[in-house]
Amino acid sequence: MEEPSKFERYVYKNASVYHYMKISLVLENGNKYITDAQFKQLITCGLKDLYGEVGASFPFDLLKFDQNELTGILRVYNSGLVKLWSALTLLGSYQNEACAFRVMQVSPFLLALSGNSRELQFGDQLTL
Amino acid sequence: MVRFKSRYLLCEVCVPDRSSLQLLEDRTIYNTLRAAVNRAHGDYGSALFNIGVIVKYLNAHTGVVLIRSRKKHYRLIWSALSFITCLENRGQKVQCFLNCLHVGGTIRTCQKFLVKYNRQQLHRMLPACKTDAEKQEVRRAILSCSLSNVREEEADEDGSDDDGDEET
Repeated sequence: MEEPSKFERYVYKNASVYHYMKISLVLENGNKYITDAQFKQLITCGLKDLYGEVGASFPFDLLKFDQNELTGILRVYNSGLVKLWSALTLLGSYQNEACAFRVMQVSPFLLALSGNSRELQFGDQLTL
Repeated sequence: MVRFKSRYLLCEVCVPDRSSLQLLEDRTIYNTLRAAVNRAHGDYGSALFNIGVIVKYLNAHTGVVLIRSRKKHYRLIWSALSFITCLENRGQKVQCFLNCLHVGGTIRTCQKFLVKYNRQQLHRMLPACKTDAEKQEVRRAILSCSLSNVREEEADEDGSDDDGDEET
C-alpha cells in the first residue's frame, strides 16, 4: 500500500532581504540635465536632512536610471525601507527649485517591477 | 497600568583636567546633547529629543550626569552621546567625552548603582594613596557612603573595616 502523497506548503514571512522601488522625479520647471550620481546625491541629501548622519549612511543602490524620463529603480534593505520612503516623500527642492518624487511601485521582488497593470496598454501591439 | 516609562542614563563626564569641571551647568549638557542628536539623527532625532529628554541631575564636582529619556528612544540618545567631543560653556570650550555607566528605569536604581560604583572607585583609590592622612580620609568616606535606609550594609562595613584597621 503506498502512502498518499503529502501536501507541503512553505510560507515565507520575509522572502527577500531587499525591497525595490520604482520612482520618478518631477521638477516644477520641466526636465533638467541630471546625472545618475546627482540623482543619488539628491536622495542622500534628503535622507540626511530627515535622519541625520546615521540615516544618510544607510546603504541603498540606484540600479537603473533613465535620464530622459528621470525615473529610476532603487534597492534598499528591508529595515531601511520606511526611512527611505519617508525621506523621498519629504524631499522638496533641488537646487532651489521645487521638485517631487513620485513612487510608482514598491516590491520585494525585482521581477514584479517589470510589469505594471496600471500602465498596461491593450491594442494591436502589447506594449507595457 | 498605563503610564509613561522612562530610562535614566547615568553618565560621567571625563575631562583631562578636573578644574574645568566646576563650571559645568545642566543647560550646557542639554544644548550639547541636542546639537549632537541633531547632527547624528537629523530632524527625526531632534523631534524625539524635544519630547522626552531632560537632564535630571548634574554634579559639578564628580562630573556625574543623569539624563532622562523615553523608553522607546533611549538607544537613539545613547548613540549620540559618543559623538560629543567638547562642551561649550560661555565661550570656553572644554574637551571631554561622556561615558555611560548605567541605564536604569528609575532614579532610585540609578542612585543605588551610583553608591556601589563610588564605593568601588574609593576602594581603587585606597592603594594609590600616598600619605596616611589621605588613607584615613578615604576609609572614612567608604564607611559613610550608603543610602540612609540601608543600615545592614553599614554595620557589615564597620565590622570588616575595623579588622583591617587593627592589622595595619
